[in-house]
Amino acid sequence: MNDDWMIDIADLHYAYEHAGVVEPVLHGINLRVRRGEFVVIMGPSGCGKTTLLNIIGMMMPARRATRVTVAGQDTLHLSDHARTRLRRVLLGFVFQRFNLLPTLSVRQNVALPLRIRHAPIDGQVDALLEKVGLTELAGKKPGQLSVGQQQRVALARAVIGSPALLLADEPTGNLDSANAQAVLDLLLKLHTETGQTVIMITHNEHLTIGAQRVLHMRDGQFVD
Amino acid sequence: MFALAWSNLTHHKLRAALSALAVGIGIMLLLISRGLANGSINEVNDRMQSVDAEIVILPAQDNIIFTNGAPFRGLHERFLHKISDEQGPLAADVIPVLFGQVRMGGQQQRLFGIDPAQMDVFLGSRRVLQGQAFDHAQDFAKRIDAEDPQTPRDTPLAERLAGGLELVIDERLQRVGEYKLGDTIPIMGQNFSIVGIIETGVAGRVFAPLQTLREIVVAGEPHASMYFIRLRHGLDPSAALERFAAELDARVELKSDYGRLLRESFASVNLYMTASSGVALVACFLFILLTMYTVVVERSREIAILKSLGVSRLGLLRLSVAEALLISLGGVAVGVGLALLGKLVIGVVAPLLTVDLSGSGLLVAVIIGVVGGTLSALYPGYRAARLEPALVLGNE
Repeated sequence: MNDDWMIDIADLHYAYEHAGVVEPVLHGINLRVRRGEFVVIMGPSGCGKTTLLNIIGMMMPARRATRVTVAGQDTLHLSDHARTRLRRVLLGFVFQRFNLLPTLSVRQNVALPLRIRHAPIDGQVDALLEKVGLTELAGKKPGQLSVGQQQRVALARAVIGSPALLLADEPTGNLDSANAQAVLDLLLKLHTETGQTVIMITHNEHLTIGAQRVLHMRDGQFVD
Repeated sequence: MFALAWSNLTHHKLRAALSALAVGIGIMLLLISRGLANGSINEVNDRMQSVDAEIVILPAQDNIIFTNGAPFRGLHERFLHKISDEQGPLAADVIPVLFGQVRMGGQQQRLFGIDPAQMDVFLGSRRVLQGQAFDHAQDFAKRIDAEDPQTPRDTPLAERLAGGLELVIDERLQRVGEYKLGDTIPIMGQNFSIVGIIETGVAGRVFAPLQTLREIVVAGEPHASMYFIRLRHGLDPSAALERFAAELDARVELKSDYGRLLRESFASVNLYMTASSGVALVACFLFILLTMYTVVVERSREIAILKSLGVSRLGLLRLSVAEALLISLGGVAVGVGLALLGKLVIGVVAPLLTVDLSGSGLLVAVIIGVVGGTLSALYPGYRAARLEPALVLGNE
């Protein structure tokens, strides 16, 4: 095991099972991502990108692989409780549909990961809101924001507390090109400032600019 | 977690309010039914304790609450006076009471037939507010008592009862029924007149001359439904009780035990009332369970988000419990408020009923709210905890 690797996956297979029907999605994935690297994964719908991201993010258990380690932790045989604890301390997520909590304000949404970790909030939230340009909207509920603003809130929530690994699943998928570029710029800026490892899924070739590595997936495998 | 739970509830105000109202109604039913039972028992006991006596004698097997007033057969006060020890008779005074029924103040009342000469035993320190504690009935009773029981009674009943058709009522009944002195009350085919109004707190609400009731109910035989015994000065009540119990085929109890006996006699009814209220309360908590379950189904995406952010299964369970607890505690507050309102309404509609909302009853309501709320949130919380965030977020 090499401590330089944030992610080290060898021969990962995954299949969904529903009502007795088995649908293979990942076919022997091998992936290594260095600490601090910004990696983009591209590929058509249904090729397994999101499944791979969910396994890396410990949102679902890897069932069959030679090795799956994240930040040096073997996640292949972890319990649900242990995966949840690792997600709490290690990861930040940005989803295509933002996934903000509608009952909480912008400030409360951004502060949520800190509250979950029982970490002090101090001025972090306000500083981050200023950085993403949402100070004026801190007291608003997500439903009162534009989609671009909502994604910036989601991004702030993902990076607060400086998680070691940031996973972004089509973070610009619901945005127009101007908002998409703004969010990407923000993501790159935060990555540069914090040195976090970032794995981003996107369909948009234009958004790969700034990534240190671009990987392509098709039919559950990486292709050259 | 409470902040998140609170924000979830305020986001669905109507649903939270309806759930709290459902719990509140259950709590109110429980508090009112228990309050009525306790209030009635305590009030009856307090009134019985006001009688200047130490021992109570009832027919064997008789239920102290549901006694039908049927008199003893073959037990006369003369016999009770004869029960003695080395120093003489145990009883300084034997106080017979013959029960009847009368409808006054909008409900059925127990009519206490007592010897007018013994009215002071019942009055104690309480005052006669209006009229007299029997007027002509004093002379009537003496006349009847002086008659030879063996002499045939050939005068018509109405004529024999002249001077004996008097009632003394307490001030609470007078106020509720808006009675005044001289009002006529029909009882068992005879017209009784109210001759006195006494302070509330004596053993009965309505008194009539014992001799009158005996003439009407048991053809003048010297029967009674129960006896109070005032013991000779210095006697140990427990020892005296054993002596009476040994001599009589009757139920002999210490007057100080009357409250306990009331509770024992009322136990089955109390159990039924508590069980009924409990069933209603369980239904209310099932309402919370259903609400929380609906919340879990409806908010599975938000729960999945929380889980993706690292909230543990226990944390999600705690969130569910916190929401249910807030609803339950709101329900307890609503229930206590409704119970207080119910007490006021009962005070207006049925003023002779006493609702006792004690501190311990309110504490029980809070405990029920907390425990019920927690239990009703466990299953929905368990379902929430088992959600797979990737599947939920991926199925949007």
